[in-house]
Amino acid sequence: MELLDRVAAQEQAALKLLYDQTASRLYGIALRILGNKEWAEDVLQDSFLGIWRNAGTYRGSLSPPLAWMGMLVRSRALDFLRRRRAERLHLNVPIEDVEELLQDKEAQNPMQWVEASEQAIVLHQCLQQLEQPQRQVVSLAYLRDLSHSELASNLKLPLGTVKTWMRRSLEQLRKCMARHV
Amino acid sequence: MRLTQNPELLDRLAAAYALGTLRGGARRRFEQHAREHAQVRAAALLWQGRWSAFSEVQTPVPPDPAVWVRINNLIEADKANAATSRQREASATKRLKHGLAWWRSAALIGGLATVVAVSVGLWSHRGLKDASQQQLAALQTQLQTAHAALQATPQIQYVAVLASGKADASVLVTFDPRLHRLTLQRIGDYQEAPDRSLQLWALPSQGAPRSLGVLGSGKLEKLTAQEAEVQAVPVLAISLEPKGGVPSETGPTGPVLFKGALIHRDL
Repeated sequence: MELLDRVAAQEQAALKLLYDQTASRLYGIALRILGNKEWAEDVLQDSFLGIWRNAGTYRGSLSPPLAWMGMLVRSRALDFLRRRRAERLHLNVPIEDVEELLQDKEAQNPMQWVEASEQAIVLHQCLQQLEQPQRQVVSLAYLRDLSHSELASNLKLPLGTVKTWMRRSLEQLRKCMARHV
Repeated sequence: MRLTQNPELLDRLAAAYALGTLRGGARRRFEQHAREHAQVRAAALLWQGRWSAFSEVQTPVPPDPAVWVRINNLIEADKANAATSRQREASATKRLKHGLAWWRSAALIGGLATVVAVSVGLWSHRGLKDASQQQLAALQTQLQTAHAALQATPQIQYVAVLASGKADASVLVTFDPRLHRLTLQRIGDYQEAPDRSLQLWALPSQGAPRSLGVLGSGKLEKLTAQEAEVQAVPVLAISLEPKGGVPSETGPTGPVLFKGALIHRDL
């Protein structure tokens, strides 16, 4: 995508185009990690300012543009959570609301797979074979960088349940994804 | 633990490690194995790549339109700040130019001292009534030579350091109004593409930019300009143009790469 090069050259119109093309996807990631619309908006805003100021550094990375931006959003969202925890502001995240919000959209979006990488399609297919709660546990473990006990307290589930789900889900995903190599 | 001889276990641990759920002592032991065995590192990298798709499989959600408005406002504020800091940078380069001016003056004063010495010598000879015409003629020739030498010495009366907004590169511009010569020296490693040229512009305080010429690709470039073209011009700029430059009337068409205040030295 030469859009990032044009953004690196401080072309404001290019940033707008990039935003139009990717904001929904990046907002989806932030929302999933943070579970709060307002926070996700803050992180999205912060990420785009970061892209505007540091688009030049993208050239040095090996990832495709969308993956690079996705990593940037994830790391900023995690920083945001860490800061809130440090300030003892971290509260029980209303995950159910987000789930509902995301579920509404899920059905309407067959087009999201058109540009997806092969890796993403494989992961998506393998995740579909899990039950919804298991899928959520694995996704959150990765996206929010949570340990078993953090997951348990976040999702208000017994630690034993989280551990069992995690072990089984991981086994299933591992085998499913090995088939696609 | 014979991790490298148990592919199944290695794969399971690498997946948990890359996912982030392998914690504490188990994580440290895995990292230790990874340092020792390339096979373990490879397995971890493979899974990091696979899990990274998690950010791609999230459902897109359109954000509130207000988010873009805020981003745009902040960028405008960013640009305003950048303009202020460029001004600050310009005053820093001014100090540098003062240093430069001092050296130039020192050289010039040296030159003037020679003239004074020759003149004094000439005057004392004139005082001697019995000095031969030939001696006088010889001295006059000497004076002319000294005068010519002084004429040939560049008199740098205008200096500008054109700084680039991004990289460390800059261009030092000096103008000698008597020789009608603009000298441009590239500092740093900026080099335009072979199908492009750098063009020097005078930016008058009123009216459109006027071209002062197109630079060659060398480190040191000379352009010819009349003093009137440079006098009272507060700012010089260099833009990136198609090979050979553009006509002065059209003004710069490419991005301005270097820009700086032009200082007229008062001798």
